Amino acid sequence: MPLSTPHAPQRTPGLQQQHSRAAVTATGLWRAYGSGEAQVVALRDVSVAFASGQFTAIMGPSGSGKSTLMHCLAGLDTTDRGTVDIGGTVITGLGDKALTKLRRDKIGFIFQQFNLLPTLTAEENILLPASIASAKADPAWISQIIRTLDLQERLSHKPTELSGGQQQRVACARALATRPEVVFADEPTGNLDTRSSGEVLGFLRKSVDDFGQTIVMVTHDPSAAAYADRVVFLADGQIVRDLPNPTADDVIDTMRGFETRVPLAGEAA
Amino acid sequence: MLRAALKGMAARKARLALTSLAVVLGSAFIAAALVLTASIQATVDALNAESFAGSDVLVQPVAPESRGDSLIQQGVSAETLANVEATEGVERIGLTVSGTISAIGDNGKVVGGLAPTMAANWADEAHDRELRDGRAPEADGEVAVSAKFAADSGLGLGETVTAYTPTTDQTAYEIVGVYGYSGGRDSISGGTEITFTTAEAQRLLFDGEDAYSALAIQAAPGTDADDLAAALEPVVGAESQVRTWEDYNAEATAQSAELTGLVGNFLLGFGLIAVFVSVFLIANTFSIVIAGRLKEIAMMRAIGAGRGQVVRSILAEALILGTVAAVVGAAVGVAGGAGLTAAIANSFLDAGQVSVAVPPTAILAALAVGIGVTVLAALVPAVRASKVPPVEAMRAAAKADRPITGITVTGTIVTLAGGAAMALGLTHNLGGDKADLAGTAVGAGLVFVGVTMLTAWLSKPLVGALGRLWSWNFAGKLGRRNAGRNPRRTAVTASALMIGVTLVTATATLLTSVKASIEDYFGEAVKAELFVTGPAVSELPASFDPAVMDDIRAIDDVEAAVEVYYDIADIDGTEQYVNTTTDFGGIVDLFGGEIADGGTGALADDEIAVNQSAADELGVGIGDTVNATFSRGTEAHEFTVSAILADNENTDGWYVSPAYVEEFYTTKPMMALVDVADGADIDAVTAAVDDALAGEPEVSAQNHEEFVAEVTVFFDFAIIAIQLLLGLAMIVAVIGVVNTLILSVLERTRELGMLRAIGMTRGQTVRMVIVESVTIALFGAVLGIAVGLGLGWALQNALADSGVDVFAVPVTLIAGYLAAAVLVGLLAAIAPAARAAKTNILGAIAYE
Repeated sequence: MPLSTPHAPQRTPGLQQQHSRAAVTATGLWRAYGSGEAQVVALRDVSVAFASGQFTAIMGPSGSGKSTLMHCLAGLDTTDRGTVDIGGTVITGLGDKALTKLRRDKIGFIFQQFNLLPTLTAEENILLPASIASAKADPAWISQIIRTLDLQERLSHKPTELSGGQQQRVACARALATRPEVVFADEPTGNLDTRSSGEVLGFLRKSVDDFGQTIVMVTHDPSAAAYADRVVFLADGQIVRDLPNPTADDVIDTMRGFETRVPLAGEAA
Repeated sequence: MLRAALKGMAARKARLALTSLAVVLGSAFIAAALVLTASIQATVDALNAESFAGSDVLVQPVAPESRGDSLIQQGVSAETLANVEATEGVERIGLTVSGTISAIGDNGKVVGGLAPTMAANWADEAHDRELRDGRAPEADGEVAVSAKFAADSGLGLGETVTAYTPTTDQTAYEIVGVYGYSGGRDSISGGTEITFTTAEAQRLLFDGEDAYSALAIQAAPGTDADDLAAALEPVVGAESQVRTWEDYNAEATAQSAELTGLVGNFLLGFGLIAVFVSVFLIANTFSIVIAGRLKEIAMMRAIGAGRGQVVRSILAEALILGTVAAVVGAAVGVAGGAGLTAAIANSFLDAGQVSVAVPPTAILAALAVGIGVTVLAALVPAVRASKVPPVEAMRAAAKADRPITGITVTGTIVTLAGGAAMALGLTHNLGGDKADLAGTAVGAGLVFVGVTMLTAWLSKPLVGALGRLWSWNFAGKLGRRNAGRNPRRTAVTASALMIGVTLVTATATLLTSVKASIEDYFGEAVKAELFVTGPAVSELPASFDPAVMDDIRAIDDVEAAVEVYYDIADIDGTEQYVNTTTDFGGIVDLFGGEIADGGTGALADDEIAVNQSAADELGVGIGDTVNATFSRGTEAHEFTVSAILADNENTDGWYVSPAYVEEFYTTKPMMALVDVADGADIDAVTAAVDDALAGEPEVSAQNHEEFVAEVTVFFDFAIIAIQLLLGLAMIVAVIGVVNTLILSVLERTRELGMLRAIGMTRGQTVRMVIVESVTIALFGAVLGIAVGLGLGWALQNALADSGVDVFAVPVTLIAGYLAAAVLVGLLAAIAPAARAAKTNILGAIAYE
């Protein structure tokens, strides 16, 4: 278990109050895979709201349903019951076309594997969502992100010519390029060393603080979760703890609680 | 290891199925070619056996020694017949009078295209005729016609048909009967036939002489055919020969075997090209499959598998794949060959009964080629795989592409060597025409192979440039980049199409150049504007009544009109092409020829003119004498060479005075040249000439363009034939592109998932794959066209001295090839694009 990072984030007090409108709201989500004996219920009646301009981490042990929750929130997976609302649009029940358009316009993604297109340069990768939408990206905004991520010197490089940290920074820029309603980050530091992780998380923090970006991040790294404004803990497909303003130690303590197998109901209460 | 190979194969069923399709195709073509050849042969043999069936011995005219003589029917004389009748052991004699004839249908045209109408006496026993309507011809003005003739001519019972031969005038006959043949057939091998009384048949075919085409003799009971033949030998005249029916049939069988062999070789050629192209495809697939399994192979090496075992396991896989594909191919080929035989036999031969023969060689060859090619193609990838160090198993998969330096350097050397050979050949530096032509051809082949090796290197700039065509949208741009991502794979995939397109482009370019050269020559050198001539493709040469020449000369704006007669004569013991015309100087002038030496443009009865190379061939010059015997001539005439013509394809040959026309095979002119006044309306004159020719069914007036088209009609057939070849290469190419794309889509699952996750629509995904596919296909086609044009140009230059002095690009055909390439790309993209569009986003982006 990694220890808390030495450069713990500084949070701006009162930010949550400024952004009370919910960017993403899930109500009564159910999601099960398989059927009969082999059925696995990944989400059981999950209701959660993510305030606009807030950085939320979703944590939980393997198989707790945290990835499923994120996929359902992002319109990548379907739900059996319940609704997901992104920026005022109920996405549950939308067809593939509408969902694709919604992901394109309102959602940004950061993946563990970076997932940059090897045939495109860093700059082209950053502009990819706009290109797909045949839209013109806002040049001032793009150059601001590039400057913030310190990628000016790398724009003409292909992903194979970049380090892992640089690739993930390009992926961050890509996620933010369209000013999405919400950015979903799936284990964004899972493939990075400590230093690069710090850079990426620092940027995510900064984009929330400076640009008012909404970020939902799935992670199992307590020190990564410590960058968030709030940590939502999942276990067995249910939200078991909602921790505001976490520190790495808080997170570790909470997770230890799961490992000692304290009855879940008691924990949640 | 074998079990590992089998399990590995089971896991990649779809790709293996696609790859094996190429092997199936190649094997099937080979099996089909051999089955078709054998079956057609069997069918034709059965047809041959019907001819003169029931006879024991045949007396027929001696086969003429030269082609010139063969134009004239020599008959078995009445004297020989009398001697045969008097011979002991002869039970019965069937009398046959047969030959070719021209008959005019209800549309005013001569009946029958490639195959001429046959004439026979009704009493002839060579075929088993069955009267269907009416009766047999009893008077000289009556005929019975075959059902096929009735159908083709549009003439029926009670109507009148006009028929004639080169030596007889047009005569009207009343159709009193319509007949078919045994087995309910309408024709024998699809031909048309008219039967006459024996006397009338002799008038038409033997100038009224009492002569026969065959005596079909039945031996008396107890008399052996061989003994009878021996007994007849001394009694027949020198003009006749005696053969047992068995010998006759064996000879006919051998003759048709030659022809069917030709057709079979043509199909075999197609099969071999399919096999050749599939080598690339199989090698590519195995390379791809092995690249995906490097870790697995390294792991096997790590746990103790030897290099030999790795090679053997991959070869075992190839062997299994090749065997399955070859067996399927052989089966498909046998079925296809049988079906094709039935189609050909029914539509062309009207065989009634089709014999299907499956020679063991057909199956063996299909299996050997299919299996051999697959194993051979897998050998290189297998050996390469065995070189994977075991430590690779522990490393993350290295995706770096193998360098293409080696093959690029080799390809450059081969291309340069080929180019040098071509240059030397073209500049006549190899000593001797044959060496020059051979050097050019070998050089062309080397360039072809060299460029094939260079495709990987060429793919970088070319794919990028081609892909720019699609860059109007982003999905297209991504597709273009993807096509250029793996040069080696793109190159091998495109090679399949390139090979086919190169071959057809080179051939089409050469043929188009030949055609353009002829057209060019006509445009510049030939003075005559119009030609009176018949179709180039017909068994009997077209001819017309010379009396129409006066009508043509009388037409306004016609300045000169000269008719030409042709014959093949024996000159000093050699077969020679002889012309005559009422105006020797005029014909040379109108055809753009030139009298190089001697002569005044007129020929006395004992004078002969000839072109330079024909004179050289016989070693004669001005003032020398030659002896010539014409087709119908009974004795040689002595001529003195009075003029030498400059060599010119249009005027080459010998010229004599028109005094000998009656001894020519065709006693009527076969062509006329018409010189139209400058500035006159050619179309109006053409129409007037056609009016003058209204009573001549075999010929019509043609302008340069039509005449050249008629002369070069064989090129059109050749071009069509090679397009079929392209079609075949295209099928294989589609398979190759599908294979490569499916693999690419699988490899890029994660990428596709990401693109879909961040908002790429299914439509955009489909477009991306289509662009990749079409770009690869176009790359192959463009390369093929470029190399094909280059080779065509080289061949044209090599043949420039033979008169092919114009280089012409078959623009329409090339546009067609590009369109075909786009079609290949589109077809090949269907399955991979569908798969890409259906990418499961969650599965694709999930962690490893």
